[in-house]
Amino acid sequence: MSDTPQVPVTVLTGYLGAGKTTLLNRILSENHGRKFAVVINEFGELGVDNDLVVDADEEVFEMNNGCICCTVRGDLIRIIGGLMKRPGRFDGIIVETTGLADPAPVAQTFFADEDVKRATRLDAIVTLVDAKNLPARLADSKEATEQIAFADIILVNKMDLVTEAEALEVERRIRTINPYAEIRRSTKSAVPIDAVIGRDAFNLARILEREPEFLSGEDDHEHDSDILSVSFEVSKPIDPEKFNAWITQLLANKGQDLLRTKGILYYANETRRFAFQAVHMIADGDFIGEVKDGDPRKSKIVFIGRGLNRPQLRRGFESCQVEG
Amino acid sequence: MSETAPEFLIDARGTSRALGAWVVGLAFGRDGTLGLGLGDGSVRIARPQAMAEDWTNAAAHDGAVLSLAADPVGGFLTGGDDGRMVQTAPDGTVTEIARLGAMKWVEHVAAHDSGLRAAAVGKQLHLFDARGAALKVLAHPTAVGGIAFDAKGKRVACSHYNGASLWFVASKEDKPRVLEWKGSHASIAISPDGTHVVTAMQENALHGWRLADGQHMRMSGYPSKTRSLSFTSRGRWLATSGADAVVIWPFFGGGPMGKAPTELAGGDGVLVSAVACHPQHEVVAAGFADGLVLIAEIASGKVVPVAAPGNGAVSAIAWNATGTHLAFGTETGFAGLVDLSRR
Repeated sequence: MSDTPQVPVTVLTGYLGAGKTTLLNRILSENHGRKFAVVINEFGELGVDNDLVVDADEEVFEMNNGCICCTVRGDLIRIIGGLMKRPGRFDGIIVETTGLADPAPVAQTFFADEDVKRATRLDAIVTLVDAKNLPARLADSKEATEQIAFADIILVNKMDLVTEAEALEVERRIRTINPYAEIRRSTKSAVPIDAVIGRDAFNLARILEREPEFLSGEDDHEHDSDILSVSFEVSKPIDPEKFNAWITQLLANKGQDLLRTKGILYYANETRRFAFQAVHMIADGDFIGEVKDGDPRKSKIVFIGRGLNRPQLRRGFESCQVEG
Repeated sequence: MSETAPEFLIDARGTSRALGAWVVGLAFGRDGTLGLGLGDGSVRIARPQAMAEDWTNAAAHDGAVLSLAADPVGGFLTGGDDGRMVQTAPDGTVTEIARLGAMKWVEHVAAHDSGLRAAAVGKQLHLFDARGAALKVLAHPTAVGGIAFDAKGKRVACSHYNGASLWFVASKEDKPRVLEWKGSHASIAISPDGTHVVTAMQENALHGWRLADGQHMRMSGYPSKTRSLSFTSRGRWLATSGADAVVIWPFFGGGPMGKAPTELAGGDGVLVSAVACHPQHEVVAAGFADGLVLIAEIASGKVVPVAAPGNGAVSAIAWNATGTHLAFGTETGFAGLVDLSRR
């Protein structure tokens, strides 16, 4: 129950061999004077060079709320509880997941557990992909696709191994799954630390701040995985009761297939904007400040998920507008 | 006399210290000294007979103390995030009992007067005897969330995902009785008569098993997680944290099934963060999230204030064996020791 600020947590995902440990060691060795706690799940060939490295067990369990997608990482709850007992807070916590990990339970832990929520906040999910091998991974691994779908920042690593044409193709494939993430190219995981740490990507006030990078200028209809993103925009004000009823029902029924949901809403008779986000069916929302003059007041919602029914989602969102 | 501010027992009958680090656990040892395990890795030792003296400061762990228990051979047993279980004697001498893994945490320790010592590291429960010799390692399906010995020290229970495991310590064949219930179970307690096991769950509820017939008990309605469980000395009541009153479940007359719990010392909207029942009487000491500490009598509901709010959420609280002294500590490193004996 202390009033100290929440410690930011960066989640590092990526397939085996994408360069996670190299990135981790770069972050830790860069001379920034910041103190990190590192949570890893397996010892790789490369050691992690930090004062405090915790070996986690990646233990996932289901919350007893009737939803099988509400899984959280019990080991993270315990580790964060333990870290908070140390005097002198950390500037950040970095959680590295195993290559085969589904990022959802990690992300959901930061919304579902009251103690974790009080002590920490999710800063960003950073996914590393191997530029050369990504096409093969997308073809044979559901997890590789999910890691991209969940990401706020995607590092296309090992750029020295591909041609420009191959790199563009990899980025195109990434965009079809997740047009909202920031893509950055790197070789040997060399990126400035600020590109991955301190991004505040889960801050409600900043969601949908970035314009999506749809390469063709519209939603991509050609896609090679069943995970894709759709977004809708409406001009009339939103009726909060209708929206709550719709989104509650939608997340309850389809939450398992909805990986990430983000929205900025302009409610009727309200001078503030409302921001909304969800990881599967665990949702979070709040007002994020006054509407500025000249704001077009267009409410927007984005879904990244599996087997999305675009017309149905569109009709649902449109029906949340006030009548008349 | 005009109006006076509420009187707190600690002002007239106690002492306090600002220790500078999270009080993770505390207990009174065999010789009556008080041991406190802190988030800075130290174990502090106070002597109730000489409250004004400086408290001993022993560097027990490199990192944080994660759990503390009174050691059956004297002093205190602690587990730390340095992967070690150590014993700190009343004079502050630190002796390592076991190194249980680099980068692994000894998250829970427990002990029994018979000399048994237990340390949980991940899924494993390591048992040691009074001389520090390793007895056995009991493996669980997932990480251990809490350890409890029964009153006789014959059985040990560990909570984990999807239930708890109850082991006979001396059994040749290490096969636990598995008490199943879906979900994540943390703190665990065995009733003093050994008939019930209760765990605190992730979902702001308790789960219990009546061992005679495996009957499940579900105790819910908490606004937050329960972290602290304590049975009264004869096991008639179970006191719990996690609500804005001390919630006490009756374990008699067919309860807790179908019975409403009793609530004590509620009404301020502040959550109870730690509880400890008196070793003889049906009296419970409780600490709150704002730092308030009080004692409440179950039968009458009468409340006696012990320490004022304002020094951090109470994270640990315990009585000495005879019930003459009460000690507590907070997340911000405040600790108090109060003498409640007749004068």
